[in-house]
Amino acid sequence: MSNAPAEEIPAEEIDLTEANEIIDKYLTLPGNLMPVLQGIQDAYGFVPKPTIDLVAERLNVYPSQIYGVLTFYAQFHLKPRGKFIIRVCVGTACHVQGAERITETFFGRLGIGHAETTEDLRYTFEKVACLGACGMAPLAMVNDDTYGKMTVQKVDEIIETYNARPMK
Amino acid sequence: MVNLTIDGKQVAVEKDATIYDAAKACGIKIPILCHDKKLHPFGGCRMCLVEVEQMKGRLIPACTTPVTEGMIVQTTTDEIVKARKLVLELLLLKHPIDCPVCDAAGDCDLQNLTYEYKVNMNRFVDEKFNHEIDYENPLIERDMNRCIHCGKCARICDEIVSYGAYTFINRGIEAKMGTEFDGPLNCEFCGSCVSVCPVGALNSRPFKFKARWWALQKTKSVCSYCGTGCQLTLGSKDGKVLTTIYDENQGFHNGQLCTRGRFGYQFVNSDKRLTAPLVRKNGKLQEATWEEALAEVTSRLSAGKSDPASVAALATPRLTNEELFLFEKLFRGTVGTDNIDHSAGYAHEALTKGAVASFGVAASPAEIADVQKSNLLLVVKSDAYETHPVIGFEINLGVKRKGIALRIVSDKKGKLTRLPGAKTTVHAPGNEVALFNALCKSVIDQGLAAEGVAGLDALKAAVADASAEKAGVTAEEVAAIAKEFASAEKALIILPIGQGYPGHNAALANAAANLAILTGQYGKEGAGLLIMGEKNNSQGAVDMGIYPKGTGLNAAAIIDGCANGNVKTLFVAGENPVVSYPNRKKVEKALENVEFMVVSDLFLTETAAMADVVLPACSFAEKSGTFTSLGRRVQNVRKAIPAIGLAKSDFEILNALSQALGGARYNNQGEVFTEIAASVPAYKGLTQAGLKDEGAVYPVTLSAKLVPAAAKAAVQAPGKLALVTGSALYHCGTMSRFGEGPMYVCPDAYAELNVADAAALKIAEGDQVTVTSGTGAVKVAAKVGKRVPQGVVFSPYHFGEGSVNTITDGSEVTYVTVAKQ
Repeated sequence: MSNAPAEEIPAEEIDLTEANEIIDKYLTLPGNLMPVLQGIQDAYGFVPKPTIDLVAERLNVYPSQIYGVLTFYAQFHLKPRGKFIIRVCVGTACHVQGAERITETFFGRLGIGHAETTEDLRYTFEKVACLGACGMAPLAMVNDDTYGKMTVQKVDEIIETYNARPMK
Repeated sequence: MVNLTIDGKQVAVEKDATIYDAAKACGIKIPILCHDKKLHPFGGCRMCLVEVEQMKGRLIPACTTPVTEGMIVQTTTDEIVKARKLVLELLLLKHPIDCPVCDAAGDCDLQNLTYEYKVNMNRFVDEKFNHEIDYENPLIERDMNRCIHCGKCARICDEIVSYGAYTFINRGIEAKMGTEFDGPLNCEFCGSCVSVCPVGALNSRPFKFKARWWALQKTKSVCSYCGTGCQLTLGSKDGKVLTTIYDENQGFHNGQLCTRGRFGYQFVNSDKRLTAPLVRKNGKLQEATWEEALAEVTSRLSAGKSDPASVAALATPRLTNEELFLFEKLFRGTVGTDNIDHSAGYAHEALTKGAVASFGVAASPAEIADVQKSNLLLVVKSDAYETHPVIGFEINLGVKRKGIALRIVSDKKGKLTRLPGAKTTVHAPGNEVALFNALCKSVIDQGLAAEGVAGLDALKAAVADASAEKAGVTAEEVAAIAKEFASAEKALIILPIGQGYPGHNAALANAAANLAILTGQYGKEGAGLLIMGEKNNSQGAVDMGIYPKGTGLNAAAIIDGCANGNVKTLFVAGENPVVSYPNRKKVEKALENVEFMVVSDLFLTETAAMADVVLPACSFAEKSGTFTSLGRRVQNVRKAIPAIGLAKSDFEILNALSQALGGARYNNQGEVFTEIAASVPAYKGLTQAGLKDEGAVYPVTLSAKLVPAAAKAAVQAPGKLALVTGSALYHCGTMSRFGEGPMYVCPDAYAELNVADAAALKIAEGDQVTVTSGTGAVKVAAKVGKRVPQGVVFSPYHFGEGSVNTITDGSEVTYVTVAKQ
């Protein structure tokens, strides 16, 4: 998880309606912080700062504690994430099958590094330790779609496919 | 009790004790880094590992393991020492070991343990952290490279301070103590985190590179800001107070201080201190000798003896009991005037008129210790936290740790209203008495009044007209509070008073006392009424009789007397009426008009600048004596440094004047205390030596009586906002303006508005606004938030520039208009 502060997004650009609905849903549940944050992440794709302030105020939890929780779990993201999350496995099996070249190619084509997001918010790239399908090494995933036996050529095909998908 | 054996010693302890507590009880020291007696056990550092016979095979953390019957504990074996050494090696792996330039050196738990366990080599090698040091604020430096992750800062900030500035962020090797969004520290700056940091990760910046810890002279004394009476240890060197030193065994508050106490000491050595007497010559204040200055004052007071009514004297409740006693003797006795008063006259009336009528004593019926012994706290105004932050900590602890119910009736929200389970009733400003009358009526109507309360019929008649509606709250809220208060086993009302709160007067004290008396919630532990005097010796000033008792003029009448010429000589010891009394213009005019005014003060205040003679006085650090806290605790104040320049303590000044005027002369302040003990009934039997470090709470005998309190009719002021004054968290009176710490956090006067009002007036945070009342207009910065309700403006009173007393006239609420400049 990166230490960098969340990207500044003007508060007025974040519609808090959904966040409020999520908080309403869990308001009386003991230990409601995690489900609320998970709900917000699902709804917004990341956890925007204004929602943290909102959760802090409505659940009466210190903003610092929420930030602590958000940075402890890898599942939470404080920056906007791409519409398409590309995960390339660099675990042992994939590594020996040349995962390095796959990641390098993605880096070159997308102009971003590990855990970074393209400016147009189309792609986020992540190296991951294992995706649980070593038989298909080297392996990549885009959102829920799996691409086995990856090659450098396939990288271009994947990018072409997802460049053609609509953003909305 | 549970019996166990530790290192061969038999010990019996309470069943909720831990092994660590049990060892401590029998004098065995187990090393700790993350444990603190004030905080919940954490078990993070693993320094306190011990062996337990019944749990063989692994080492047990002493700080988190509860004792069991028959436990056999070893605290020092070869295996334990080996394990502790390993812990230290691992900590030192990342710790920078920059002890020569670290302010904690000599007071560092890690350094001391490394020495004790002879860790002179490290089997591991790794890179050090490379965190950026937070220099964004001038009070607390955060060097997370030195942090050992004990988490004490986060825990104290949560458990006691209830601010929650810190948290562990990230995880694994990346984990560090951080703030929200890993930004700079932006908090109350009470410095509690600095006080408990076992290493030099959190430092007091004003003390940085000032002195080595072991070179400091340590003097135990009492804080000179608010009436809480927190004990503190001053660290001084070469005649300068350089820091306050944390001592977890000091006072009811275990060494905890607020930002004023911890960082507000710089006023003592401020370069603005007066260092020589000043006498007005040809219209200008010019330096003079003490002989010259005192001769002038003596001749005026001597002449005044033949017309005592033309002499008046005001004293600040910051003086010691001994000084105030001399003050009273000099003016009431030697000079023969009853025109003496303090704190603008109204700020002590809750005690001198309210408590006297309701309980027969001019003191708080309850003590500070009652806060945590109560089952329900009814706090009048959320400001109780701002006026008395360390009592605020007690409330935090009580609510969060003991589950004490917290009910707040207030004209605004605040930090206390955010505590878990706190229920807040926000009423329209100035309706406090009406609200308490409605509560009393509700108690009676619900049949909850205690049996056989004398004067019940008279009260019934007096509150017959009271209603929730008149107090501007709902009937349900009133009925609920009344019921909870009456049915709680022990319920305590907390009422802060002070110059910022003209509405917290005798009538409100009576109204609040009525509720306590009506429900039988007084005269027992954890119940009653805690009236919180504003200044460090507010209670002492009342005990020493610094208020008019016969036909004398009170503070307001003294100001009027100065204006109309009836008062010709005015002696002001430390008060600053120009800034802190209502209606600044009127006060200034009166003080311009008075024939002769002498002011003794630390600084050339707005009032001193108008005087004919200014006498440089000593701060609390330069004198010994006693202060009496709002909980009636008489405590020793001890001299830490010699007087600054030619300054003399008020004791010396008053003693010299007394002698010159033919009054008594004392050899030292100790003699005066002996006389206080002999002549002030409450202090009977006390001796300064007997007060020791902990002080003594003098008892009170209550004779409770229901005293009907008249609520003022609500004022209709359409189109205007209701201005309420009060204290800012970082200030107390007008003295904190000379401390760098408070002035960094809160440098200027401001007007706090509700977001809706601000939007309607097109005012944004930080805008300069003009606040206009019938009395005058003042220009201040706007603060915008949700803390104050719509229709209300809050402004703190401490500041000379843009002082809010320019627009107030001493009434509970001032109706104002606010406009952007």
